[in-house]
Amino acid sequence: MNGFSPSAHLILTITAPLVGAVVAWVLGARGVSAVRQSAAVSAVVTLGLAGWLIVRYLGDPAAASGLPYALVEMPWLTEGIFDVKLSLGLDGLSLWMFGLAALLSVTAVFVSWDAIKDRPVGFYVLLLVLETAMLGVFAARDVILFYTCFEFTLVPLFFLIGIWGHDDRRRAASKFFIYTLTGSVFTFLGLLAIVLWNASHTGTVTFDIEALTDAMKIHPLPMSAEGGWLQMIVFLALLAGFAVKVPIVPFHTWLPLAHVEAPTGGSVDLAGVLLKLGIYGFLRFSMPMLPEATALAAPWLFGLGVVGIIYGALVALVQTDLKRLIAYSSVSHMGYIVMGLFALTPVATEGANLQLINHGLSSAGLFALVGMIYERFHTRNIASLGGIASKSPWLTVLFMLFTFSSIGLPGLNGFVGEFMILAGSFQRAWAGVAPAWQTAYLVMSLLAVVGVVLGAWYMLWAVERVFFGGSREPPRSHGHGGHDAHHAHGSHGGHAPTAHDRCDLRWHELAALLPLAVFAIWIGLTPATFLRPAAQAVRESTQASSEAFAARMRLTNPAAHVAQAPTP
Amino acid sequence: MQDIPSSTLLVLVPLLPLVGAILTVALGRTLGSRAHVPAIVGIAASAAVAVTLLFGMVRQVAVGNSAAQQGQQVQPVEMVTTLWEWADIPNAQAAGGTTAASFLIPVALRLDPLTATLLVIITCVGLLVAIYSIGYMHGDPGYPRFFALFSMFVFSMTMLVAASNFLLVYVFWEAVGACSYLLIGFWFTKPEAAKAAKKAFLVNRVGDFGLAVATFLLWMTYGTLNFHDTVLSDGTAVPGILGVTRLADASGYVGGAVGSAICLLLLLAACGKSAQLPLHVWLPDAMEGPTPASALIHAATMVTAGIYLIARSGPLFVACPGALTLVSIVGATTALIAALIGTVQNDLKRVLAYSTISQLGYMFASLGTGTLLGFSAAIFHLVTHAFFKALLFLGAGSVMHSMGGVIDMRRFGGLRRVMPVTAVTFLVGSLALAGVAPFAGFFSKDEILASLHSRGWPDTHGEHQEAVPAGGHAMTAGSFRLVSVTPDASRLAGGDRGSRLDALNQPATWRLLFWMSLVTAGLTAFYTFRAVFMTFTGPTRVPEQAGHHAHGAAGSAAHESPPVMTIPLVILAVASAVSGWWLFSTHGLATFLAATPSFTAPSIASTATPPVFHWDLAIQGTLAAAAGIVVAALGHLGKRSDGPQMERFLGPLETLFANRFYFDQIYAGLIVKPLEFVATLAALIDRYLIDGTVDLVARLPLALGGLVRHLQSGLVQRYALAGVIGMLLIVLALVARAMG
Repeated sequence: MNGFSPSAHLILTITAPLVGAVVAWVLGARGVSAVRQSAAVSAVVTLGLAGWLIVRYLGDPAAASGLPYALVEMPWLTEGIFDVKLSLGLDGLSLWMFGLAALLSVTAVFVSWDAIKDRPVGFYVLLLVLETAMLGVFAARDVILFYTCFEFTLVPLFFLIGIWGHDDRRRAASKFFIYTLTGSVFTFLGLLAIVLWNASHTGTVTFDIEALTDAMKIHPLPMSAEGGWLQMIVFLALLAGFAVKVPIVPFHTWLPLAHVEAPTGGSVDLAGVLLKLGIYGFLRFSMPMLPEATALAAPWLFGLGVVGIIYGALVALVQTDLKRLIAYSSVSHMGYIVMGLFALTPVATEGANLQLINHGLSSAGLFALVGMIYERFHTRNIASLGGIASKSPWLTVLFMLFTFSSIGLPGLNGFVGEFMILAGSFQRAWAGVAPAWQTAYLVMSLLAVVGVVLGAWYMLWAVERVFFGGSREPPRSHGHGGHDAHHAHGSHGGHAPTAHDRCDLRWHELAALLPLAVFAIWIGLTPATFLRPAAQAVRESTQASSEAFAARMRLTNPAAHVAQAPTP
Repeated sequence: MQDIPSSTLLVLVPLLPLVGAILTVALGRTLGSRAHVPAIVGIAASAAVAVTLLFGMVRQVAVGNSAAQQGQQVQPVEMVTTLWEWADIPNAQAAGGTTAASFLIPVALRLDPLTATLLVIITCVGLLVAIYSIGYMHGDPGYPRFFALFSMFVFSMTMLVAASNFLLVYVFWEAVGACSYLLIGFWFTKPEAAKAAKKAFLVNRVGDFGLAVATFLLWMTYGTLNFHDTVLSDGTAVPGILGVTRLADASGYVGGAVGSAICLLLLLAACGKSAQLPLHVWLPDAMEGPTPASALIHAATMVTAGIYLIARSGPLFVACPGALTLVSIVGATTALIAALIGTVQNDLKRVLAYSTISQLGYMFASLGTGTLLGFSAAIFHLVTHAFFKALLFLGAGSVMHSMGGVIDMRRFGGLRRVMPVTAVTFLVGSLALAGVAPFAGFFSKDEILASLHSRGWPDTHGEHQEAVPAGGHAMTAGSFRLVSVTPDASRLAGGDRGSRLDALNQPATWRLLFWMSLVTAGLTAFYTFRAVFMTFTGPTRVPEQAGHHAHGAAGSAAHESPPVMTIPLVILAVASAVSGWWLFSTHGLATFLAATPSFTAPSIASTATPPVFHWDLAIQGTLAAAAGIVVAALGHLGKRSDGPQMERFLGPLETLFANRFYFDQIYAGLIVKPLEFVATLAALIDRYLIDGTVDLVARLPLALGGLVRHLQSGLVQRYALAGVIGMLLIVLALVARAMG
């Protein structure tokens, strides 16, 4: 380990999927199994490297004190006033998302194992390119690299949906691409404005995120009429991209469509990692760099989070397509995260940050399982399914596990984040807002808890209809070349339970799901292990906004300052 | 086991069933018909450890009490062991403003008299029911799954009563709910079972809503969620919510609106788990699960979690007299209504289900008195009820097993000739439930009536005044909370400065509650013996399904259950017969429980009364029971159970009872249907309004794009290109401005 510097380790981790993509391309002529095997190997190797890097990070004393780790800096343009570098590194904010991206890429490869028969080379190459982009976006420490990767996650996914998707794939891919691209163009303009504002004060054009964050503390963007409300405008520009990405209701309608049409592997990455980019953006840019604007917008985003929780849950309740139902449950669950983030109390924000991982695990697991159901029964229509528990007991067990994780059953991961978000929100409502806001905050917090009941309702109702009851005998799986071959193999290898294995999980499906299940239980039992490394970073990111919010709440208290109360 | 520290033993109690559950999952298929072995060994070992702990705790309390006789106050006895930190967010103070509550959640287990008692009940009844299940579940395709879930439940339930932290209580509160969900839906191919499971989970979630919000309020009010006192790493002492420091402080508990809100939310949670009005609707449907699960989870243990929660939080409730009174009102009302519904049920398990709801109502009524007698009577009844209700359920299961799955009482009769052991043990359980002396229920019910009576007629219970310790008057005057800690009912009624609810707390209320409970006692005896007479007396009739069950000829089809099922029945019957007398005559349980930290709060401990047998109440209770049995005998003894029943004379009331007071219909009409309507509406809005707007906005550039269609490029590429070019232009412009 001595000769292998963390920086080299990080670069190797990020580029490993690209190497895998090249290998998969070269092996393309040898057929599906060579391609998918090489993709699996490179995804697993990347996961191993990422896991090892995280372990090294956790053991590093500098990292323990909140400093960034595994720094890589490549000068790019350092002439005159320009100080542009491409820099990479990990810190508490990005650590777990980095690991999650690597973990879910393995899941994405294994769920595509039998599902993708058509043009496998392109599929796996795109999947691996997507992985590099996802790893890069979390490791980026400068705006250019961040934004490049941020946008570059779109392209592979666009093709994954548009080529390997279901019937309405073209419309879904276009909508997904245009919607998120339109939003993120504004985000880019906002980021540029920050860079230029800094340049106009320091005389240096730097894109370094850390330098910009520090600079914004010294000469913040103006937040008054004289300054043209510039900070608010930049905040809204960033919000445009992040809100679509999360998605915050009402900017969510691309999501169900994209999920329903996407191939399972694409859904796993989309739900598990890409939705988190919006929240990550808030934590990385908006909250530390634009604290006053964040404080002004916080009550409204907190409220939109709650609207998302209830609205997503209600719409999920009446869905007839299982995958669509889970897509709307994502809308609802992302609402919790938005709410927790903008509650701006340490318990809530740390809970929200953890919930990014939790939702990544449970939604990826559920989407993967829906894909497996579709492969077996060729439908996702809840009314056409039924009694799967008798046919595929282990599939059912895992679906129940991720359902319980999703509805926040204690002992599993979802509960931890949800509970912390709600506790922190109540804390905010109880003692952290001006009296004029208190009732509104209390009502919103209570509504969010009602969402917990609704969440159980739509998920368990779906489970009841899909898994329980008598068998509906939907059309059975056929035409899978590898299926029967595997059946013979499975009874020797003993991977799958023998009694029902024609219909139950196969080894690659277990390989896709079991790691997620392990983490779901692990985080649920000892959340402190996962909270601690991120705590410092989350607190630093949110502190300025939290202070600005407290100051604003004193201002908006009519008893204290009547004239200053703005009406947003 | 003497050498092993009791903290280790305490961890073993939940750990052993957990190991049993994991082994059952891992080895279930290999073990096949012996899949019960890990579960039973685990629960048996756990029961042995729990009994050891109980004896150790009894000794400790005895030592404490003998010391206390020289002094004055009962010393609290508790032991806490912390396993690991679940979450630690120190000093969670948002900059400027919010409360400085740390979010430190240790996974801590506790042992005190209350926990020790419940651990023994859970594991011992659990063991008997598990043994019974070997026979009952024999040959079921889900045999390993049943025992895995069963062990998992025992693990969760023991953790629930041993947890020393409100968050941890919440964790296992939901975990037992999940086990219950999976066991109710055990035969998931039956649509009714799947529906009932979902209903149970959702109704419980409504209760969990209360517990979650109560937990948040507790955290913000008290700055911690621990029951016990803790010392932080920096040496700061944090008094736990139910720790000895706060308990000793007479003004340690918040009353008023906040205190009442916390208590009402805890009550909501308890109503969910313990199936009290208005959240009782899930329990009768839960009978779709296997009968042993009904016996253990939906009668003996899990449904008593609400009793445990309120007893444990006693000092919080006593600080809010209005909320406390409401506990009794909910309890007594539930007891009466459930008993009324129970009188017209024809499904044997449903009779028992409503009886469980009703008996839990008794316990709530007792808790709500807020006196030491009330708390210990509730736990006393919890213990005896665990025995006789488990016995009755297992008896019903034995009947069902023998009758080929039929449980409609109108389809059988005279079964005492077919299954004598079941009949006799069922009779013992019924006598205990009906409160006939000297069976167990008689003594515990008597104490409950006594606790209610003492609040309704405080003057006739003069001993209360004498029992007030000198320390009670030494409390600082002036705090409104003090009003509530004095035992005198009339002064309690005056303490309405905290909450408007306190107006409920009148002697007249308590008198009404007492009479309701007495009427319920009569109804209980009636429906219990109605079931006994319909099932076990009259001409022998066996449903034809019984023949399918047995392998022999039709004549010998119906038979007594195998010994593996009848032996647990006999053991439980003995416990139901003698436990009440034994625990009452020695006054052992009450003295033991008094050392529970929660009950040593001055506000509760000062209400201690010397053990008295209330002859007057015993006679009233016995007369009520006798009346019920006589009426049942007139209507059903020796008659064919499928004939017209005497309940038809109730007229429209019978319709009301048979339709269970229309609770399900009201919920469907007022909550479920409107919500589904709103959801449909939301889905339409989503599709047409929100997404429609998005598409409309997207079409505008498309229309413009039509002008440049000759570019022949694909839509997305064009957008991407335009985006990139546009961005580059903006970048260049801004850079130029920044440089210039």
